[in-house]
Amino acid sequence: MPSVQHGYGSPFSAHDIGVHEYVINALNNNISIQQQLHHYVIPLAYPTAIMLDVAATQLVNAHQAQTYPQSLFPGGRMFSYLSRTDRIRTLSALENLAVDLYVLPSPFQNNAGMVKFVTDALNRFSMFGFYSEWPMYGSTRFFPPDDRRLEFFPLTWQQVGYPGVSLGYRDFRGFLLKIWRNGDSE
Amino acid sequence: MKTDPAVIVIGAGAGGPVVAKELGELGIRVLVLEAGPWYGNKKWPEPNENCGMAKESSDPGDLDGTLYRRQLTRLENDMDDPVTGKFRWGAADRRRTPWYRNIPDRALLWQSAGIGGSTLHYYANSPRAFPEAIAEWPISYDELIPYYEKVEATLPVEFAPTTTKETLFYFGAEKAGFSVNRTLDVTSIGYRPQPNAILPPNEHLMDPNYSMEELSHMEGCTLSGHCGQGCPYGPSLEKMAKRPTTVSYVPLAMKTGYVTFRPNTFVTKVLTAYNAGGNQQATGVQIRDTWTGEMEELRAKAVVMAAGCVETPRLWLNSDLPYNPWVGRGLTNHYMDMVTGTFDEDTLMATVGSRTTNPFIGHTSGSRLDYPGLGMIENIGESPGLSAQQLFGFSQSGYNRLHHSDSGLWEQRGRLVGSELEKAMEDYSRTLTLSAITDDEVKFHNRVELDPHIKDEHGAVPRVHYEPSKKSKKRREQLIKIATDILRQAGAKKVHRTDLPANYYIHLQSTMRMGYVVDTSCEAYQVERLYVADNSADYNALGGPNPTATTQALATRTAEMLASKYF
Repeated sequence: MPSVQHGYGSPFSAHDIGVHEYVINALNNNISIQQQLHHYVIPLAYPTAIMLDVAATQLVNAHQAQTYPQSLFPGGRMFSYLSRTDRIRTLSALENLAVDLYVLPSPFQNNAGMVKFVTDALNRFSMFGFYSEWPMYGSTRFFPPDDRRLEFFPLTWQQVGYPGVSLGYRDFRGFLLKIWRNGDSE
Repeated sequence: MKTDPAVIVIGAGAGGPVVAKELGELGIRVLVLEAGPWYGNKKWPEPNENCGMAKESSDPGDLDGTLYRRQLTRLENDMDDPVTGKFRWGAADRRRTPWYRNIPDRALLWQSAGIGGSTLHYYANSPRAFPEAIAEWPISYDELIPYYEKVEATLPVEFAPTTTKETLFYFGAEKAGFSVNRTLDVTSIGYRPQPNAILPPNEHLMDPNYSMEELSHMEGCTLSGHCGQGCPYGPSLEKMAKRPTTVSYVPLAMKTGYVTFRPNTFVTKVLTAYNAGGNQQATGVQIRDTWTGEMEELRAKAVVMAAGCVETPRLWLNSDLPYNPWVGRGLTNHYMDMVTGTFDEDTLMATVGSRTTNPFIGHTSGSRLDYPGLGMIENIGESPGLSAQQLFGFSQSGYNRLHHSDSGLWEQRGRLVGSELEKAMEDYSRTLTLSAITDDEVKFHNRVELDPHIKDEHGAVPRVHYEPSKKSKKRREQLIKIATDILRQAGAKKVHRTDLPANYYIHLQSTMRMGYVVDTSCEAYQVERLYVADNSADYNALGGPNPTATTQALATRTAEMLASKYF
C-alpha cells in the first residue's frame, strides 16, 4: 500500500491507519454457519495468517523467495521476512494453487475454493479499507458500524481528488437524446 | 384478526414490488416479505440497530424522505462494504456477519438485502433487451413492448444527461467509427445515453442563485454521483432522483391500500399441498424473523418468488419442491471486464474543455455502446474505494508487477500494488473507465446449488459455480478491445485492463428459466400457483443489456396473468 500524509502523524502509511485491522475484521466477520443450537462465526484471520506463513515457507524452501535477516513486522513469522515482491509472489502462488494444500490450516486444507476466495479478498479488502472513508472514522474505526463517527476528512480522498459526500455538481452539458413517451426517441 | 393475504411475494427487490403494485391496483391483497431492513420508513427509525416498532407497514404515511436521507449517508464504506455495509446481503443488524454464499473462487457477488433489494445500489440503468436475444425466448419481443412502456412511464425512465465523462465517451466512440443510436429497441450497433431510472436534472441546476443544498431538496438529479450509495436527493421519498423500487413501486403499491410490506423476514420454505386434481400447488410460506429467530407459517392463494437469482432456486431446493434438472441451472452473469484510460490535462482541455474527467460526477454510468452479437460497453465512474477495489484489486490475471504484458494493447493488466497503485489512484480524476458486458451464453453447468456441508440459520447455503463458455470468452475479448480502442481514440495516454475474474456477479440471470422451470406466464410447471418474478426467469442474458427493466416488464406481465388465472 502507498503512504500519505495526514492526521495520524505524518507521513502515515496503510500500516499506521491500521488497514490490516480492517482486513482482520472483514475476515473474522465474513462467514457464520448454523450447527444444531449454535450459530458460529468462523474467524478467518488467524488461519489466513498461518496460511501465508506456510506458503511463504514453501516458496523459500523452493528458492522462489528470499528472506530478510529479520522480520519487517514485530512478532511476524515467515511471510513477514519477505520483500514486498516476494509477498506478492506468495499470494500469487496461493491463488494459483501452486502450494501444497495439505499442509494448510483448516478451513484451507485441501480447500482450493476457499484458498482462492480469501487470497483474492486480501487484496480487495486492503484497497477498499484504504481508499474508502474507513480511515476517517479515526478512533471509532474499529467500532461496530453503527457506532462509528466521522472524525476528519480522509487524506486518501484528498490525495486522489475526491471531494467526498456531495450534494451535487453543476456539470450539466445537456441531453444527447430525449425519450418521447410513444416509445421512440428523438 | 387480520385477513390472510391473497398473494405472498417473496422479496422486495426489482421485481417483487412491481408484482405487488400491479396486483394491488386490481384490488388483490398482497403481503411482500423482505429479508433485509427498510430505509426511509418511520416504523424503523434505526433499522440497523433494533427491530423497530412494528413488524410490517402498509400506510404510505410511514414513508419519510428525511429519514431516508439520514440513513443513506452516501459514504461508500458505510453503504457498500460487502461485509458491514447497509447495502450488503445480510441481516439488518450489521454486527452480524453477512449471509454466506459459498463461491469457491475469486469472487464478488453484489446483491443487497432490504426493501428495494439490489435496486438500492444499482445504477438505475434500464435499457430494454436486444430484440434478437428475445427472439430465442418462448415469448416475443413485441409482446414485451407494452410492458416495457408501462415500466418506463412508471419509474420513470429517461435518457441520461451528459456530463464531462459522457462527453469524452461520445467523442471516443464517434472517432472509433460508431454513430449515435436513436432508439430504445436496439437492432444495430451504436452509442447512446443510458436509458435509466433517474429523474432529469432540475432546470435550475446550473443557476448559481440556487444553492446545492436547496437543489438537493428539489426534484431532479443533482449529478452528485452517489447512485451506488443510494442517492437520497429530492423533495420527498417518492420524488428521490434515483429510482430504486423503495421510492417508486413500493410507495405506489402501498397507495393502492391492498399491499403490506414486511421487512426483516427471511422465507425458509415454500409450503405446498395437493389439490383436488392431484397437482401440487403453493399454499404459503414458512418464515423466520431475522431479529428474533421466531418462525411462522403464512398462507395465501398464490406465492411469487422474487428473491433473486441465487435465493429463488435455493428456496426451491430447500423446500423439497419437485425435482427439475434446470432449477438453479443456466446461470449467466454477463462475464464482465473493465478498462481504465488515463488522460493528460492538455488532451482533456482540447476534447472536453476541462482539465479533469472527475469520474465521480454525474450518473455513475451515463452512457453506453450497444453491440448486438457481442454485448455492450458502459462507462463507470465509482467513488475511490470501490474503484480501487474493482479496477486494481480484483483480477484473474494476477499482479501486473509479476508478469510482463504480452500484448501491446494495455500498458498494465491485473492487480496493482505499491507505487503502481499509488500512481493509478493519483490519476483518478483524469480517468475514464469502460466496462465490457458480454452477451453471456447459457450453459447447464453454470449453477446455483445447495452446499452439501454448510447450513446457516435458513437452511443449506447456496453454492455458486460459474465458468464462461468459449463463446462468452471470445465475445468478452472482442468487446474489451473495442472499449480499449474507444479510450485510445478519445486520447487516453495509458490504458489499464482489469481482467475481472469470472465470478464477478452484478447481473445474475436465468437460474429458473422460462420454458424449463417456469412457463410463459412465469408460473412453475411443476407447482401450481407458484410464480417467479426476478432475473432468474429470464430465458437468456438478453444479449448483454442490464436486466432490471426486463425483469420489471416481465413482472408487470406476470401479475396480470396471475390475476386473470386465479382471481
